[in-house]
Amino acid sequence: MKWFKKLAVVTLAAAFTLSAVTSAGAASKLSGKVVINGSSALLPLTLQAANEFKKLHPKVKISASAAGSVTGPQAVRKGIADIGACDWDASTDVPGFKKFTGQVANKVAVIPFAAVVNSNVKVDNLTTKQLQDIFSGKVTNWKDVGGSDAEIVVVNRSFGSGTRVNFQLKALKGSDFMSKGSNYKEVKSSGDMKTAVESTPNAIGYMDLAYVTSKMTALKIDGVAPTEANVINKKYDVWSYGYYMTSEKPSDATKEFIKYVQSAKFQNGSLKKLKFIPISAMK
Amino acid sequence: MLNPSTAGQPAAAGELGSSLKSRSGKPFDRKSRLFFTNRLFRYICIGCAAFVCLILLAILGLMFRTGILTFRDVSLSEFFFSAEWVPENEQYGALSFIFGTLALTLLTLAISVPISIFVAVFLAVMTPGWLKNLLRPVMDLLVGIPSVVYGYLGLTILIPLIRDLTGSSMGDGLLAASLVLTVMVLPTISRISDDAISAVPKRYVDASYALGGTRFQTIFKVMLPAAKSGIMYAVILGMARAIGETMAVVMVIGNTPQLADSLLKPTSVLTSNIVMQIPNVPFDSTWNYALYMMGFLLLVISLLMIVAVRLFQRKGGRV
Repeated sequence: MKWFKKLAVVTLAAAFTLSAVTSAGAASKLSGKVVINGSSALLPLTLQAANEFKKLHPKVKISASAAGSVTGPQAVRKGIADIGACDWDASTDVPGFKKFTGQVANKVAVIPFAAVVNSNVKVDNLTTKQLQDIFSGKVTNWKDVGGSDAEIVVVNRSFGSGTRVNFQLKALKGSDFMSKGSNYKEVKSSGDMKTAVESTPNAIGYMDLAYVTSKMTALKIDGVAPTEANVINKKYDVWSYGYYMTSEKPSDATKEFIKYVQSAKFQNGSLKKLKFIPISAMK
Repeated sequence: MLNPSTAGQPAAAGELGSSLKSRSGKPFDRKSRLFFTNRLFRYICIGCAAFVCLILLAILGLMFRTGILTFRDVSLSEFFFSAEWVPENEQYGALSFIFGTLALTLLTLAISVPISIFVAVFLAVMTPGWLKNLLRPVMDLLVGIPSVVYGYLGLTILIPLIRDLTGSSMGDGLLAASLVLTVMVLPTISRISDDAISAVPKRYVDASYALGGTRFQTIFKVMLPAAKSGIMYAVILGMARAIGETMAVVMVIGNTPQLADSLLKPTSVLTSNIVMQIPNVPFDSTWNYALYMMGFLLLVISLLMIVAVRLFQRKGGRV
């Protein structure tokens, strides 16, 4: 049987080299490693792009993982990652986070956000002022904003969340959140936010539009409904770009990967399927 | 270690015994090989033990070294006695978390210990053998259920129930968390107490009955006091589990950094605050150091508990 085993090994080895040669020959000579870390909101997009990119450039190794938004630019600064995905432009100051100098922000997607309420709440429209009052704890009863007589349960993301930064900047125009109270709680992810708003009567919260389900109501803000169409025609302004932060001199593979994510093919194909809005739609 | 002089039994001590006792003159004869492998094995064992100790010391050292940096910007009294935890305004008062952890643990024990002891007495004294053999594995299985399952059930079943029963609008808080933890530590405490009560010498029980004691008197005046140290050991193990529990607590406590002055007010504990904030914290910031300090506190509390467990174990041996 020994000759048989040897033969099997040789055939396998030959098959591997052959396939490696043919696939590499068909695609580009671009090689290298791209490490991506940061925002979990952008991870589905990154993973999809990485899969497609690997087919075009088989010699490029891409490893993507996610923690919190701020992890992205931090990992880039420490040299752990080539790309730091972040829900805000980390080269500028935002509430709570100083800017990261020496980093370049690359827009990769448009992310719309929505204020949502539990389905038992009869309110479906709030003004920016009313939103500010509710999230800062000044208004505590739904009857003060046109609903029934019930206490408002405010669900917030914990400090440092990218969704929280964007919602504060865009929907609340920078005004402060409340931080305590007996009808106030914080959750640690978009998934937890979804569960909390769905299951708590009289709750209000906010999340990426992609997370909104039929078991809750997405609020109109100043009379404008949070839909993709309204984001694109600029009536609904609670949205932000998702960013890939890089150092000032990224590697060729990194540059090429970002170019691929920003390409019309990816933006109008897979990116749309993942419920993001192409950046070209906003120009 | 193998002792050459007694290694061979007299009957089987032929060639083998003599080659162990005397050298044959070759450079690597049996005696020196045995000596070498025995020594090597011993050093590997010592090395492994030292490695474990090293890991513990390294963790303690890292947590302490990073955590202590908190006090460059935050005073000791602010960290331990202020309840204002607002990282965006550079306020790092951890009192509400420390208080939350202690209150949650005490509340959990207050509910779970009496129930556990009754369960243990039932298991050890009143159950017929076949039921005992059925119930003990069930309890052991309960210990093994992952905490996230308990947390999820708490979130989806317990909290709406509390909301309906108390009329509060949220339901998150110390009450929900301590009920979830009670279910989690109950099997641990009752199984170990059960073992302790079962180990009470039968002559104590017989003596009590012989003096005319009722079953109730025998259990409460003789068996429980005799098993006291074992039960304490069980309680401390349960307490350690309650203090370190994270996933189940984070889902039902509400995660709001405020002192809990009511059982139904959303609050936060050391573990839940760390797991909520660590993914979003900038690396070299006081905020990060403060979270490390909180981790160090947890570590110290659980180490103290392990020391206490050891002490009770030693005492228990004398009964």
